[in-house]
Amino acid sequence: MASTIVNSGALVVLQELNPSSPYFKHGASLRVTGKLQGYTVETAEAVIADGSASLKVDTHHLSLNFRVGSIYQFIGELHVQPDNEVMLKARVGRNVDGMDLNLYRRSLQLLRGFQGEQSV
Amino acid sequence: MESHSLRDTHVKLLAFDLLSLTRTPSLSSSSFDPFSFSRKGIQISRVEALGVVVTRELKPDKFLKFSIDDGTGCIQCVLWLNQLNSPYFSRRCPSDVRLIAQMALIFSTRVQLGLVVRVRGRIAGFRGLVQITVEDVVVERDPNSEILHWLDCMKLAHQHYDILRGK
Repeated sequence: MASTIVNSGALVVLQELNPSSPYFKHGASLRVTGKLQGYTVETAEAVIADGSASLKVDTHHLSLNFRVGSIYQFIGELHVQPDNEVMLKARVGRNVDGMDLNLYRRSLQLLRGFQGEQSV
Repeated sequence: MESHSLRDTHVKLLAFDLLSLTRTPSLSSSSFDPFSFSRKGIQISRVEALGVVVTRELKPDKFLKFSIDDGTGCIQCVLWLNQLNSPYFSRRCPSDVRLIAQMALIFSTRVQLGLVVRVRGRIAGFRGLVQITVEDVVVERDPNSEILHWLDCMKLAHQHYDILRGK
């Protein structure tokens, strides 16, 4: 039975994706969440935002209906250009309209603390 | 809880926790798996996990192998679809086997890339990795279901699973 192993997408909030962040690595598998600001049909490129932070997402492999203003979550690999321009090449994505983003951020902090505490 | 075992419970675990279970050779001759699994010294055999389906590989009439990502790790899952031609089921009532096969087929159609699924099943080892032999699959439509699952797992670990080892 062959098995396909893929990396888990580390949970990040867009504000954490800056050059000094440990997640800011070419090829890093990430899961990002944000509100769709724009979508270009020709390039299948989406731009999601969370507060003042935004990220380009290549959605070539996805068959989703995109609606500006809706919230989306993507899992994929980060591509960092030499000028530190970044884009996530999404493997999977979904619409998460109705997600409580404050609860998400607070739970993510708890989850990281829990993982740290359980690994000791 | 009277027993210090979680063997008869579907233990809610996050992927990183499931993937770090301790594996020891099974002492029971009736066991499905040659290994048994324990978390901090407490034996567990069934698990409930939730995550985004990130891989899907179907072998019709044999199995559906898929993996779910809950943000802390990826869990390999196998859903058997060979009930109608497996010798393992040959001694069971044919109508029961047909029903089991029918349910497995329904579960397999629920598992689609990008959806969030809740999976329950038996913990098994395959080529050195921990995987779930799936018993049932539910698609979660609520966008907050994954967050609530994280909170459930953390609460259960703190209030129940971690405490059992001290008893």
